[in-house]
Amino acid sequence: MKRMFGVITTLILALFAAISFFPIYMAVINSFKTQGEIFDSVLDLPTTLHFENYTGIFEQLDLFHSAGNTVIITVIGLAGIVLCGSLAGYKLARTPGKLSNFIFTLFLASMLVPFHSIMITLTKVAKGMQVQGSLWGLGLIYIGLGVNMAIFLYHGFVKTIPKELEEAARIDGCNDFQIFTKIIFPLLKPITATILILDILWLWNDFLLPLIMLTDVNNYTLMLSVNMLFGQYNSDWPKILSGLIVTALPVVVFYAIFQKYILKGIADGAIK
Amino acid sequence: MSQLGKQSSELVIEQVQHKVKSKATFSTKNQKATLSLILFVLPAFIFYFVFLLIPMVGAGFYSFTDWNALSQTYSFVGLSNYIEAFKDDPDFRHSFFFTLKYTAFMFVFQNVIALLLALFIETRVRTKGFFRTLFFMPNMLSLIISALMFSFIFSNVLPELSQKAMLHFLDQPWIGDSRFSFYSILIVSLWHGIGYMMVIYMAALQGVPSHLKEAAMIDGANPFQRLIHITIPMIMHAITICAFLTLNGAFKVFDVVYALTAGGPGRSTQVMALNIYEEAFSNNFRYGYANAKAMILFFIVLVITLIQTRMLKKKEVEA
Repeated sequence: MKRMFGVITTLILALFAAISFFPIYMAVINSFKTQGEIFDSVLDLPTTLHFENYTGIFEQLDLFHSAGNTVIITVIGLAGIVLCGSLAGYKLARTPGKLSNFIFTLFLASMLVPFHSIMITLTKVAKGMQVQGSLWGLGLIYIGLGVNMAIFLYHGFVKTIPKELEEAARIDGCNDFQIFTKIIFPLLKPITATILILDILWLWNDFLLPLIMLTDVNNYTLMLSVNMLFGQYNSDWPKILSGLIVTALPVVVFYAIFQKYILKGIADGAIK
Repeated sequence: MSQLGKQSSELVIEQVQHKVKSKATFSTKNQKATLSLILFVLPAFIFYFVFLLIPMVGAGFYSFTDWNALSQTYSFVGLSNYIEAFKDDPDFRHSFFFTLKYTAFMFVFQNVIALLLALFIETRVRTKGFFRTLFFMPNMLSLIISALMFSFIFSNVLPELSQKAMLHFLDQPWIGDSRFSFYSILIVSLWHGIGYMMVIYMAALQGVPSHLKEAAMIDGANPFQRLIHITIPMIMHAITICAFLTLNGAFKVFDVVYALTAGGPGRSTQVMALNIYEEAFSNNFRYGYANAKAMILFFIVLVITLIQTRMLKKKEVEA
């Protein structure tokens, strides 16, 4: 009875695993075929590996350029979120009183605002501030949208750090800012790592904000360029699929390296 | 006696002086703390204020106006945008009910499948890590990539699979027909989202103390009874969180629909976020009206979140 139960669960898991992996497998094998081979059969393995689909995609689409744009936006956004978020989160956690509580609640409450509700006025603000359409401008906007979450996580983490360290440093003559840079920020490393990982995935995969902010194709992020594949190659599947795989690859590598932290970050973020 | 009196009165004066002094330093200390708070919070607050708070307040404000891209000025129109959205906009109403239907399906399937997978995986010892890695993997890919990959699956792979594997139900106009495109959107969303919920459920399951299960086993409870009476009540917190994460996310669905069907055929698979996007950026450029719709979406999410926090608080009291 117990053994049969084990066999059944394994079978169900294997079936789901197959369904889960099937689309990726199909995309990979067909990205190496010619259009004619796909037409003959999508399920068969390719007879020869047509790597020219991949080289072609790099020459024609300039995915490297789009990837570079995404990196610029991500670096600006992450640096700002971590810097501003850790400063504010630390001080809000350490300062008692009404003002501090009010500011923290303000940040916290904004976390439930759906992006779609503010996107229209956000484009107008961005236009007014002259940051619409530029990469650095988009990076700055990500700071504004992501800093509340970072403050929330830093705030919770700082509460677990004993105050004695700061008091000792104060007696030694450190000022507030020195205490933060020399004592606190290094201690925040674990939560900084979680924030970085979650926000890298968010910024790298985000679609709607770049869509409404970036008008110049030169500034397109990777996701915007990928979305254009479809229109550009109009059912030229080998090209579209190889483009998709090239775009997905960095995230898959990232997942392979940081899997432990990603899964922990998600579980911790939800349960707490 | 007088000496003593003098001494004690000096002592009192000293004490009072000390008190006044410490009160003075206390208030400057307080001011210093406030100043320091403001300096530390200011960088974050500036970005937050400009790119989140102003747009939010602005969205509420402009939702009562007839602001659009064509004219320079705008005037207040009261609630008429909201009334129009509810009464005279069949597309918006359709998008609302379509999103509601999508949310209901996601709510049930995403949570049930994720919980079942988590329960099954937890019974495995050696293959646990492997299955978790595999099921979570789709969540790493962006929804745009997932949706484009699936349009290949729907248009090319499934028709061939239905012929070769004799699975005739697979041969459907998955994207071109509104009856089926709902399910294709659902399939991609589930494929992408189940792993995320599963990870949360797995973490919760690991927190269930094993001595409870062992005690139930000794009392003669079968696996099903143990699940119903021990495991489920112990992970209720995670179930509530996942349920609301799903509700929240499903109401805001955009990317997958945009990339898979673009709301089509016609507007049959248009979701609320897409309807707002179209109203503001690609169709009428009626910003005031689009903002009213955006506020309606905000209120729906707000209500969901308020119910969630209440339920979680109630649970905490009970526990």
